[in-house]
Amino acid sequence: MSIVEVKELRKQYDPPKGVLAVDGVSFGIEQGEIFSLLGPNGAGKSTTISMLSCLLKPTGGDATVAGHSVVSDPQAVKETIGVVPQDIALYPDMSARENLVFWGRMYGLSGDELKRRVDEVLELITLVDRQKDRVDKFSGGMKRRVNIGVALLHKPKVLYLDEPTVGIDPQSRRSILDGILALRDQGMTILYTTHYMAEAQELSDRIAIVDHGKMIAVGTHEELVKIVGEGARVSARVDHYLEGMAERWREVKGVEKVEIEEDEAVLLTEDPNEVLPRLFEAAATAGSRITEINVTEPNLEMVFLHLTGRALRE
Amino acid sequence: MIKILAIAWKDLRSTFRNVPALVMMLVAPLALAALLGFAFGGGGGFDIAATKVVVANLDKGGAEAGQSAGAAIQSILSSKDLKDVLETSTKSSAAAARQAVDDGEAAVAVIVPEDFSAVVYGSDPTATSQVELYENPTSEIGGSIVEGVVGQVLADFNGARAAAAGAVALRSDAAGDPAAAQVAGTAAEQFTHAGGVSAGLQISQRSPQAGATEKEVSVTGAILSGMMIFFMFFGAANVARTILTEDRDGTMPRLFTTPTRHGVIIAGKFVSVFVTVLVQAIVLLIAGRLMFSIQWGRLDAVVLLTVVAAGVAGGLALLVISFAKTPAQAGAIGSGVYLILALLGGNFTGTAQTSGVYGIVQKFTPNGWLIEGWDTTMRGGGALDIRWQLLVPLGFAVAFFLFAVLKMRRRFA
Ligand SMILES: Nc1ncnc2c1ncn2[C@@H]1O[C@H](COP(=O)(O)OP(=O)(O)OP(=O)(O)O)[C@@H](O)[C@H]1O
Ligand SMILES: [Mg+2]
Repeated sequence: MSIVEVKELRKQYDPPKGVLAVDGVSFGIEQGEIFSLLGPNGAGKSTTISMLSCLLKPTGGDATVAGHSVVSDPQAVKETIGVVPQDIALYPDMSARENLVFWGRMYGLSGDELKRRVDEVLELITLVDRQKDRVDKFSGGMKRRVNIGVALLHKPKVLYLDEPTVGIDPQSRRSILDGILALRDQGMTILYTTHYMAEAQELSDRIAIVDHGKMIAVGTHEELVKIVGEGARVSARVDHYLEGMAERWREVKGVEKVEIEEDEAVLLTEDPNEVLPRLFEAAATAGSRITEINVTEPNLEMVFLHLTGRALRE
Repeated sequence: MIKILAIAWKDLRSTFRNVPALVMMLVAPLALAALLGFAFGGGGGFDIAATKVVVANLDKGGAEAGQSAGAAIQSILSSKDLKDVLETSTKSSAAAARQAVDDGEAAVAVIVPEDFSAVVYGSDPTATSQVELYENPTSEIGGSIVEGVVGQVLADFNGARAAAAGAVALRSDAAGDPAAAQVAGTAAEQFTHAGGVSAGLQISQRSPQAGATEKEVSVTGAILSGMMIFFMFFGAANVARTILTEDRDGTMPRLFTTPTRHGVIIAGKFVSVFVTVLVQAIVLLIAGRLMFSIQWGRLDAVVLLTVVAAGVAGGLALLVISFAKTPAQAGAIGSGVYLILALLGGNFTGTAQTSGVYGIVQKFTPNGWLIEGWDTTMRGGGALDIRWQLLVPLGFAVAFFLFAVLKMRRRFA
């Protein structure tokens, strides 16, 4: 059985007229995997996390975490999970260490164990030398790290991370993503939400694409990209007479389809590695020069576009 | 339990790191008490600026040497016991003394007539002599003090004269003693010197106060007790408001994702509020003692009043919070409620007006009762003397508290 089981979960804010933020979502998360909810703003990711954290009562359906229902046994669920909220939820006038100690107590830790876990987490989020500084003196990335650290103190079986990398520099993002992968490797089960396709792709064992409160696709990255077909997309510009060049490329072996989109030719191919040299050859023979060429492997962006007719990031 | 204390400790630490909050909770009441105490009281005690008195002692003395009732009045008016109240100087003539009052140099002129001793020590019981008090009508308090003192002295002299007259009458019956006048004089003298006058004066000196066993309440003490209760409302509100700010800033929802029961979180907040105002009150009491030498009173009464006041402030703050949706709303509602309560309860006016309609209105506010309790306590009352001033506010506190719990239960369910 999955460690997290979500069945027909629904949430309507201020019924009967309010927003239907989550509209009958079902999925399961296996022990030790990173499962991502990928979707644009307002898709219902945070609302789903809130219900799985027992913060919001579902208006329909149920979910279990380690066998405990979020509706009927919230206390047991809370003992199993660690929650990293989307917005930083720390006490800004307290130091990093004071925050960790306080939250550790709220997770039921005390004495030597509390001290040890606080030290370990400070190590993990690499803030040992800044632990005595007030959180409101921290950079965005440092606050994010403390925000995550709080949820790790009690070594939860399941960790929820709601867009933990929003608005931070690439370096901090890198260290957070590496940290999450390390946690997964230690056996933690992770529910991750993001609207960054690349993040979902890199981190996740499985991804659920959500939009308007509905889950529109779920699977591994490979499974999802198959939805849009297996070919890569090559777009190219030449120095003159694009139409003529496109005609010649259509004849090249391995090219499945060529279309002209504005001032570039868009080709679909199964194996760009084999096809690309032939495209250059053909151009040389025709006396044309390729001025720009892009290869796009099929990605979640394309899947989202394919399924909704809209871009993931508008 | 550990979690409740952890929440309370966190809030307490935050409050005492927050400089504006500290200024509001501690500096403002002390500064206001110092300022108003200075304005109304001119220092620590219930000081009335000493009344300036001029004495024109025209008394020519009695028949015998050393008989000078006028000098007695003069020395009593300028005695050490009265020096805080009366500032006495002398003039050589009645006109000069009156002039001093007219010129505003003095508030009261005491003019002892030439025949004063002659009448006091004389043998004629029907003879009269009048000490004139010439006073500036605006100096009510000073004038009445002088009136009281002089009146008392005169009453004593009159008593002596009556006794002497009696003695003279007895002697006359027996033998028609020619030295009757002398006996009467001696008797009068004996009477005045044997402590009759001074004993009487001591009573008169006390008469402006409420009772012999009660202590004086320092003006600063009265003001600070009112200010303390008023600013305790704000101290409590400050902490109670964190329930709303934490809700807004996400730490309250985050608390709800930890395996900490809702009741524990709310209880932790309640303890925070209560402990914060309690600490605030203790600091203010100690500061009042050290800075203004305020005698707060008996320990039992002081402790109980402080705890009950903290309960009222906490309960009220939580009640206000339970009605507000945002921190700003809580601030606005709270300030209004506290100000009205303080005005009705007499936090700014002290106990001076606990009579009439205002006295009745005060009884409808918990702070009105508390202020009354502080007044009694500062006068030396014990816990038993202020049982109603403790029980009634306690009732208010419990009612506020229960109502707040009910409302918040619903809200954070
Ligand atoms: N407290 C609320 N009351 C009413 N509507 C809400 C509330 N919270 C969220 N919504 C609505 O529910 C929908 C889903 O919001 P949610 O925050 O779950 O989206 P999200 O996927 O987390 O978006 P984002 O990427 O911006 O965080 C949105 O339309 C939002 O406006
Ligand atoms: Mg969100």
